[in-house]
Amino acid sequence: MRILRLWRHPASWTIFRLDDRLLLILIAVIVGTCSGLAAVALNRSLIAMFEWLHHFRHYWWSFIMPAIGAALSALFLDKIVKEGAGHGVPEVVYSVSRYGGLMRFRSSFSRLISSCLTIGSGGSAGPEAPVVMSGAAIGSNIAKFFSLNDRQRITLVGCGAAGAISSIFNAPIAGMVFSIEVILGEWKAVNIVPIAIASVAGTEISRILQGNQIAFSHRLFHIEHLDIVACIGLAIITAAASVLLTRFLRSMYGVSKKAPFPIWIRAAAGGCAVGIIGLFLPIVLGEGYHSIRTMIEGAFTQGLCFVAVAAFAKILATSLTLGWGGSGGIFAPCLVIGSLAGLTYHRGLILLWPSVSWVNEGCFALLGMAGLISGMLQAPLTGIFLIIEITGSYEVILPLIIVSVISTTLCHYLEPASFYLKELVEKGQLLRPGTDARVLSDLNVQELLEKDCIIVKQNMLLRDFINIIKKSHRNYFPVEDEKTGNFLGMIHLDDIRSYLFNPLMYDAVVLGQIMDTDVKVVYLDDDLPEVLRKMDANQLFSMPVIANRKFIGMISKATLLDKYRKELMVQTVLL
Amino acid sequence: MDAQLFHIFRNTPLGRETLLQSIYFCKKVGSSLIIYIPEFTKFLMYFEKDVVQIDLDDSYLTSPDTALKHAKELLDQGKIKARFLDPKNYTASTLPDISTNFDFMCCPRSISDLSSKIGLGYIGPRVRRIVNSARFPVLITSPVFKKWRSIAVFFGGSANAINALKLGFRISRASEMPLSVFTHMENASRESYKEIIKNENLEEEMDRYVTKWHMFERGMFEENIYDVPHDALVVMGAYGHSLIRNIFFGSKMEKIQSTITNNLLIAGPNYALTR
Repeated sequence: MRILRLWRHPASWTIFRLDDRLLLILIAVIVGTCSGLAAVALNRSLIAMFEWLHHFRHYWWSFIMPAIGAALSALFLDKIVKEGAGHGVPEVVYSVSRYGGLMRFRSSFSRLISSCLTIGSGGSAGPEAPVVMSGAAIGSNIAKFFSLNDRQRITLVGCGAAGAISSIFNAPIAGMVFSIEVILGEWKAVNIVPIAIASVAGTEISRILQGNQIAFSHRLFHIEHLDIVACIGLAIITAAASVLLTRFLRSMYGVSKKAPFPIWIRAAAGGCAVGIIGLFLPIVLGEGYHSIRTMIEGAFTQGLCFVAVAAFAKILATSLTLGWGGSGGIFAPCLVIGSLAGLTYHRGLILLWPSVSWVNEGCFALLGMAGLISGMLQAPLTGIFLIIEITGSYEVILPLIIVSVISTTLCHYLEPASFYLKELVEKGQLLRPGTDARVLSDLNVQELLEKDCIIVKQNMLLRDFINIIKKSHRNYFPVEDEKTGNFLGMIHLDDIRSYLFNPLMYDAVVLGQIMDTDVKVVYLDDDLPEVLRKMDANQLFSMPVIANRKFIGMISKATLLDKYRKELMVQTVLL
Repeated sequence: MDAQLFHIFRNTPLGRETLLQSIYFCKKVGSSLIIYIPEFTKFLMYFEKDVVQIDLDDSYLTSPDTALKHAKELLDQGKIKARFLDPKNYTASTLPDISTNFDFMCCPRSISDLSSKIGLGYIGPRVRRIVNSARFPVLITSPVFKKWRSIAVFFGGSANAINALKLGFRISRASEMPLSVFTHMENASRESYKEIIKNENLEEEMDRYVTKWHMFERGMFEENIYDVPHDALVVMGAYGHSLIRNIFFGSKMEKIQSTITNNLLIAGPNYALTR
């Protein structure tokens, strides 16, 4: 039985208890491997599905295929696994922010299947965000199996996301940076080491099973000073495209939510619209990596207008796919839109200054991808490292940095939160580690209750009350109804000082006459930031807490500060 | 006592019976009632080390326009006030998070399967997960409202059973109802059970609250359960043993719930006595 008990709690094994960091590193290998496998599984499934459906794409009715895929995907998510649609990254960030990275087991596979149906059938979306969610859920559930604490679980969620991105792009640094910059928002050695290990494990799994290939073949670009200056304009274009995509996605989602149809019909409608666009512009269908390869190689022959229209069509198709209920991520569409934006810009430059010898258009396609990714995610490092790793083009590092940084900055001005975090920020649910909101979110009113108050009755004489004051060390006294026990008001000693020094009043006044009935109260389920706001607005240092109309204790700023400090220490202490 | 009982309201005859049970429990124990009228068929409960998605069956969304009115009518009849819970946080737009800072939660035997499945011997997988993860005891009600007039605690000597016994004391103290303890002795003597009580410093409470300690030396467990009063609230621990042991030897809680129709108050392995 002892062996069985030990098996139930592997984290209690002596080997792991020797060093918590060692435990985390070992588990990071497992998480990175599992999330890498999940990413490879999705990649292979997508390839198989593309090959299977490829023969049908030439028929006139092929526009229905994305509709069927999106409908099946929405049905699968809604009826079988009972999850919402979308790409899932905000859910991962939300669980990290509020619930110590707790995620459902079903999330470790649900988005893999649903995004495979959406993207494989031609929907305009990418497989990266679904594998991030899958990897994060794998990390969370492995942490649960090992009975790890919140901080360790959050790190493993980051490991899962890093392993997945590293595996799907064969890009370990991008995976690591994405996880820390976007998912965790916390650069600490305790996170970085296991996440780096998970990235290596995820990448290695991908290399073993799929070969050590980079997504887009390496090209040598000769970049001149003028090209670097021109990058500023490209950054502006990509920032505009990022903002346009963000707003289109959100407005499509808003319109779709108002449509009085089940989610699968809405997804089918979105998919159908994408299919129709795809009949005229096949570049918008699927993840679009083939088109990116052509653009980087400089073999994309269509003219300026076509490229600009294609970029806009891809923005529209992605918004229709994801906003109307399809499943998938925005990474791959961003890369396609970015490269199209880069190409458009390059052709515009040639049109305006035909005598200048600009660098090859493939370079601008590549820089456009970085600009779009950085702008959408508002994560410049992720954009820079991702593009360097998936193209192997280190020589473009300078313009890459310029485009990424300017695009991020401009997007931040126009959209203060990234696409992933916008909704969370609007709802006040983005609680990054070490911030005031995060510390307060881990405390609740119940924990801060001070129960040493003496409750007095409304009909008590002032004389009796004076005897109570002698025994109490508090200045506040809650008053309750004698019959019902309901809270009626408060007596504060400062407010009744004149009565206390007038013996004539002792037998003439009852507490019901002198209590303050206009009291600001707190309820058990009030959020602490809200409580603090009430205290500040009314210049109060403590407030009564009420449940079911009855007084249950006081909450004070002093206790709150004390608990705040302790919680801050717990949250910021090393593992 | 400022304890809170969480209740998910189902606007159906079965839901009415369940709410009546909750109202009765709150009145007897002196706890306040928190009612959630669901807008979606799913919500999440984040426990300390687990997250449970509750997939309610469609009957929970029956006639949403009359749900609040029906719930308030029952509360008025029971002369009790309740607070209606409005979720503040959402994991996804149709997936609200429900707080787990309660002292009790009321559940029918199943909340995610059709009502037709509900019967003896069946506890739905979601209810099991809640019992397993929750820090609060779960009140699993009988299908028809029935007042309970005494408390019966099943005590087998495990750590979980001790928690259940303490919970029984707490309910008995609050409701002022008589408490009896039932022990099915398994290869252990009477003295060993008394020793456990002594080691836990519970002798004084046993004397104060327990009217009778039934110790069964012979007979099948299922046969001995017949002695439990039909109108008793049965309090017991659950899932305290490992999964493997439960597979091989079965769970006592499962045996009990499949044999008796009483209301059950179940303390899971994470139940922490806070009051």
